[in-house]
Amino acid sequence: MAAQSWIDNLKSSKKTALIHDGKRKIHYLFGDGKEMAEEYDLRTDELVVRKWRHKNTLGAQGQWQVEVGEPLVGPVASLDAEMLKENCSNPVFMRKDTKTSFQWRIRNLPHPKDVFHVSVQAPERCIVIKTSNKKYYKKFGIPDLDRNQVPLDSSALTFTHANNTLIVSYKKPKEILTLEQELMKELKKLKATSEGDIDCKTQ
Amino acid sequence: MATTTTPTTKVPEVRDITRIERIGAHSHIRGLGLDDALEPRQVSQGMVGQLASRRAAGVILEMIKDGHIAGRAVLIAGQPGTGKTAIAMGIAQSLGPDTPFTALAGSEIFSLEMSKTEALSQAFRKAIGVRIKEETEIIEGEVVEIQIDRPATGTGAKVGKLTLKTTEMETIYDLGNKMIDSLSKEKVQAGDVITIDKATGKISKLGRSFTRARDYDAMGAQTQFVQCPEGELQKRKEVVHTVSLHEIDVINSRTQGFLALFSGDTGEIKSEVREQINAKVCEWREEGKAEIIPGVLFIDEVHMLDMECFSFLNRALESDLSPVLIMATNRGITRIRGTNYQSPHGIPLDLLDRLLIIATSPYTEKETKQILKIRCEEEDVELSEEAHTVLTRIGMETSLRYAMQLISTAGLVCRKRKGTEVQVEDIKKVYSLFLDEARSSQYMKEYQESFLFNETQTAQMETS
Repeated sequence: MAAQSWIDNLKSSKKTALIHDGKRKIHYLFGDGKEMAEEYDLRTDELVVRKWRHKNTLGAQGQWQVEVGEPLVGPVASLDAEMLKENCSNPVFMRKDTKTSFQWRIRNLPHPKDVFHVSVQAPERCIVIKTSNKKYYKKFGIPDLDRNQVPLDSSALTFTHANNTLIVSYKKPKEILTLEQELMKELKKLKATSEGDIDCKTQ
Repeated sequence: MATTTTPTTKVPEVRDITRIERIGAHSHIRGLGLDDALEPRQVSQGMVGQLASRRAAGVILEMIKDGHIAGRAVLIAGQPGTGKTAIAMGIAQSLGPDTPFTALAGSEIFSLEMSKTEALSQAFRKAIGVRIKEETEIIEGEVVEIQIDRPATGTGAKVGKLTLKTTEMETIYDLGNKMIDSLSKEKVQAGDVITIDKATGKISKLGRSFTRARDYDAMGAQTQFVQCPEGELQKRKEVVHTVSLHEIDVINSRTQGFLALFSGDTGEIKSEVREQINAKVCEWREEGKAEIIPGVLFIDEVHMLDMECFSFLNRALESDLSPVLIMATNRGITRIRGTNYQSPHGIPLDLLDRLLIIATSPYTEKETKQILKIRCEEEDVELSEEAHTVLTRIGMETSLRYAMQLISTAGLVCRKRKGTEVQVEDIKKVYSLFLDEARSSQYMKEYQESFLFNETQTAQMETS
């Protein structure tokens, strides 16, 4: 039932599509003011970026929050404006999906593979990465599964480590695969403005 | 003026960034000086005398604290220098930091960029607070290492690194200049458990980590030991904070998108935006998400407002989202600005009818003496007994404000002659150096002919 409501939500949202840079970019505006932006590779139909933007309680526009894809790197602001930021030598966490599985890549982790311990915490609906040398810890959910209320399964989880990068994969369940195919069909029907001049109102 | 008289005892440590408050005319006031039964004490919290009006202000204060009654207005009326502003400041101080208190002077609302009523509405809305829960991102961890590099030349940007850890992980952060300053202000060192609010950069120390507890460490009695935090360094936490309605207005009236780059000042806020926000806030309140804290709007020199403003006030006070309005004036029966009518305090009768009026009366000699003593303490000037009596006489004969001005000047004269206590001669000296209002007027009358433009003396100056 819940899976139904998410796809209904998607269908009822206001969608704008644009083809640019070899990617199909879709912007969703939901009834409650939330915004979602997705980018698909034109050739492979793989999801490259998915990000969210909410309004905070007081009504101010928030920043884009990346769910899938490379973290946003804006123009390099001086440190003074930021006050505090993570050093570039820290591990970088990002999600990069393939056709058949959700995948997370954590770069800058030079520790050997046996240090890591990755497990599924089904009651809390999240995956936990631990390190025995206490250098890295991450707890994260899979929003796609949460939105469709699909339970987590520890047998779907695998992880490898190579080139200072830890790769965690979680096989997409059947429900998700059918939903994504359905959505893709829907999106291809959307008339997309192609690259070039977009009708842009100037003031 | 604020420097100490005993410089030997004070070791100039790291230049203190926290103490930026200067000594103002009312910085000695810390409250209304009432006991639990709202009875005024003769001398308390910087307040002296004025018992009846302080008691009245105490009753108003209770009403504000209750927060149920909206749109009441109070007028504090009295001669110049009888403590009207002091009473308002006392109310502000006893309300505490969580209740909004907006103070402005009557002439502040006249601006070319904003209409008078807009300025007044903004002031009204600044005085209403909304307590609301919001989620923010915080970083909570134990400091492993803090490293700050200052450039060898002494100028230029500082570079800093901060390593934080929890029981499970460790992260290195690069620090900006502002962060370095606040870390050194809070005296954060390795072993402290701290939280940093990511949005505002506010640092709070939770205590020291248990792993760093050693019996030979010299530390204050108030040092608390806490566990090293668990899990991830970055957490989302719900915090409750107070924002004013005006701030919500501003956030929602900003142009969205890239146009926001071109609009600097918000200027006037559309009434539709205000209505929308009122509706939203009421909705939050019904859902229990937010709490409305009506505060205080204090308008000093209220006779400077004109007829339009007064009729706007009449209307604005009827809204259920209006704060308690406190006004102060030192005028008697005078012309209402913007009309040719005379009215008590320069306020139209229909508005006066809505007001509770608190009157202040001139101070007695004993009270004047007491106030001068408090001011001496505040300004760090020591006065001999005779000098104090002389100063009180001056205060009674001229004005309290003039006598207060003499304190710091006499203190300076005394220090120049390397004295520690202000003597009668010092007072005499500054009394002869600086004229008070009465003597200056007298002088004018006597030497009028020798001043420039004395032929225009018949034209009376407009004073109301």
